[in-house]
Amino acid sequence: MRLTGKDSAPSAAPGAPRARPHTTERLGWLDRLASRRQRYLPIDGGAGAQLFAALAGQSPLVREVASPRHADLLIIAEPLSAQLAPALATLARSVPQPARVLLVGAGGASASPEARALFPDAPRVPGEIQAILAALTAPARLPRLRLSDAAPADESPTISLPPKREREIATELAVLSLGPLQPFTAGPLRLWLICDGEQVLSCQVDAGYAARNIAGRMRESAWQDAAALAATLDPLAPVASRLAYVRALEALQRWQLPTRVAEAREAALAVERAENALWWCVRFFRLLKAPMLIAHTFPLATRLAAAGARLWPTLPPSAWLLPQGDAPTVEASAVEALHGLAADIEHLARALSRQRLPQLRTREVGQLSAQRLTEAGVSSGPVLTASQSGAGDIQSRLLARLRMAATALREIAPGARDAARGPARTPTESGAPSWDVPAGEAEGAAEGPRGRLAVRVRSEGGTRPTEITWQRPSATLLPLLPEVLRGQKVADAEMIVASLDLAMAEADG
Amino acid sequence: MSTLAVGSILSAFTPAVITMAALVIGAYLLTVFEHCLAWGSLRQARAAFVAPLADVVALLRQADTPPEHPDGFLFRSAPIVALATVGLAALVIPVGRGATGLDSSIGLFYFIVLLSPFVIAMMNAGWSSNSKVGLFGTFRAAAHLISYEVPLGFAAIGAPMAAQSLAIGRIVEAQSSLWFGVWQPLGVVIYLIASFFVCFRHPFDAPQASSELEGGIFAEYTGPRLLIFTFALKAIFLVLMAMAVALFFGGWQGPVLPGPVWFALKTFLLAMVVIALSRFVPRLRSDQMLTLSWKALVPASLLNIVVVGVLTILIYGVK
Repeated sequence: MRLTGKDSAPSAAPGAPRARPHTTERLGWLDRLASRRQRYLPIDGGAGAQLFAALAGQSPLVREVASPRHADLLIIAEPLSAQLAPALATLARSVPQPARVLLVGAGGASASPEARALFPDAPRVPGEIQAILAALTAPARLPRLRLSDAAPADESPTISLPPKREREIATELAVLSLGPLQPFTAGPLRLWLICDGEQVLSCQVDAGYAARNIAGRMRESAWQDAAALAATLDPLAPVASRLAYVRALEALQRWQLPTRVAEAREAALAVERAENALWWCVRFFRLLKAPMLIAHTFPLATRLAAAGARLWPTLPPSAWLLPQGDAPTVEASAVEALHGLAADIEHLARALSRQRLPQLRTREVGQLSAQRLTEAGVSSGPVLTASQSGAGDIQSRLLARLRMAATALREIAPGARDAARGPARTPTESGAPSWDVPAGEAEGAAEGPRGRLAVRVRSEGGTRPTEITWQRPSATLLPLLPEVLRGQKVADAEMIVASLDLAMAEADG
Repeated sequence: MSTLAVGSILSAFTPAVITMAALVIGAYLLTVFEHCLAWGSLRQARAAFVAPLADVVALLRQADTPPEHPDGFLFRSAPIVALATVGLAALVIPVGRGATGLDSSIGLFYFIVLLSPFVIAMMNAGWSSNSKVGLFGTFRAAAHLISYEVPLGFAAIGAPMAAQSLAIGRIVEAQSSLWFGVWQPLGVVIYLIASFFVCFRHPFDAPQASSELEGGIFAEYTGPRLLIFTFALKAIFLVLMAMAVALFFGGWQGPVLPGPVWFALKTFLLAMVVIALSRFVPRLRSDQMLTLSWKALVPASLLNIVVVGVLTILIYGVK
């Protein structure tokens, strides 16, 4: 049965029965009913992981699907790189009509050139849940999915299979390509799993789909503009990224940090770590398809988002994370709410450590030793903590992240009451930031959600940095994937990748 | 065409039409319940009543975009076979005294045999798609095929042993004094778990794992064919729950209310309970499902046969 568009009624011959015309009202009613339900396919360019985790729990009328053939809406979270364009174009061609597309911005006033090149008609909304939901309540206003004529064809790279051994019972190996658009990482990553049935024999990693050359662009920018770029290195951890850069500049400027500013910065980092951990839990439990765990974790994540927004009622961290900049006072009631949330997160962690059913998929799966991680260059982060204090499997990584979130929130120093109604202390009023960077070389670091994010900055006293080198925690985990996935089942391999919480925008740089 | 012939055709098709209509309504209500369970709040629950209808209309309007070089016959026939087996299996389930589409003396045997083509239709769906994810889904579905058959058959056989008949109407009538589920609890549990294997329902939905395999066996299906598969999966689940009610929970029997009403209430209550309980378990791998089936359910079902045999002799005596 196909509901076609409105047909003009044929002129009836004399004496012939009159044909029943399609009425606009009947089709409009069906249009409205069909459009009530949005089955969207999320495309994460690197900044959309938390957004999509939150979106999937908003309404039964907005449902996430896994196959492009089941979708009628593409929601594409920028940034999009040129390397990702062919794969995205192939995916867009697989979506059956009628379909629509919505771009979700990661920042900036306009869409990235790659997004505009592929989807010239697609509307763009800010990267906020309410903005996306507002666009989805009137889906008929979204233009139809129209791929640009100049969209590239996907020339998927081929891989070489291992030589076939002569055996009495020989089996054919299957190569399963996961990605680059897949739900296990925050951002695009392609994995080639060479499988003997359900068992992974080997794995090849194809990264770089989220590369934006942040370091190179920072070298070509003034100090102040480079700070904005630094925040986009890891779109899921902008505070840590920006703060690492600011600390490097302050180290060059030999500036002593006041205690109040240090506490405010640590509070911002703590909230970011906790948010990342909780939203990662929501995504992980969705991949694991554990409805009860999602039901317990999703409210915690939304409560944290609300409480975190109340910490600084007047200015968000992006406005006051500046070299030698002052920081507003945190709202005490918000801190109390966060401390209460920490207790709830600890309760969830204890419950998870006791429940046997979820451990059927997480216990003793994907083990990584602390020694191996250290050899690979992993120096911090919940993956290392899980290996040091636990078995280094998926279960221990899950618990490590929850405990990290709880500890981070509990250690936030209590703030002042009614900070919103007190005198607003903005960075422009006292402690003016300084963008004068003397010559020298220094490193700045911040403890991000996935580990220590560090940047080495070299200055020759000019208006822009001479050298920028980032140390990215997700990038150090990528080379371990072939090793940890070997011998695992396909289903477990995907959970292992998800448990490492790789942020590909950060990993690709 | 003579009136007699028309009447014969109508009488032949009427049970099928009624059965499919009941399955459609049942699938809709089941979907609404699943949404309400997932979303909790009353405001979201209201949207749950609209969502299935909107899904149907949207899928019917969706373009049919087959994959590249599929096995055309299998690809097109798989949803039809799935739907047909569901409808045929539902015909033997009596919803009231004498109210059955097909009153067969081997109704239970007929029902169990018809479940196999359903699972094979799922396998065909993945195989014919000419895609890697479909292929992986197919082999996982094959694991389901060899996992459900023995436990489900051995668990269901307890009821015919007690009723001394394979006719489902006789089995229901034999429970007039005591439900079989009261003294065959092991059989009930095994049957319900094996039912989840057949329906590819969470936590045994690895063949269509949306997160792992992009939809698996259904990854390449769109539009009306996808709608048929979605409906078939929900319908087969309802049919299996209805059969469980007939085998273990007294069927249509109950006070005051008409038989079909009792039957519908018991079926939905059982479906809601098992769906709610399944939410506590994460998705299991295919090998975990095989382990559960062959190392737990099959031995338990053999034990169930022995226990039911002994209890049958004790309760009903030796004839």
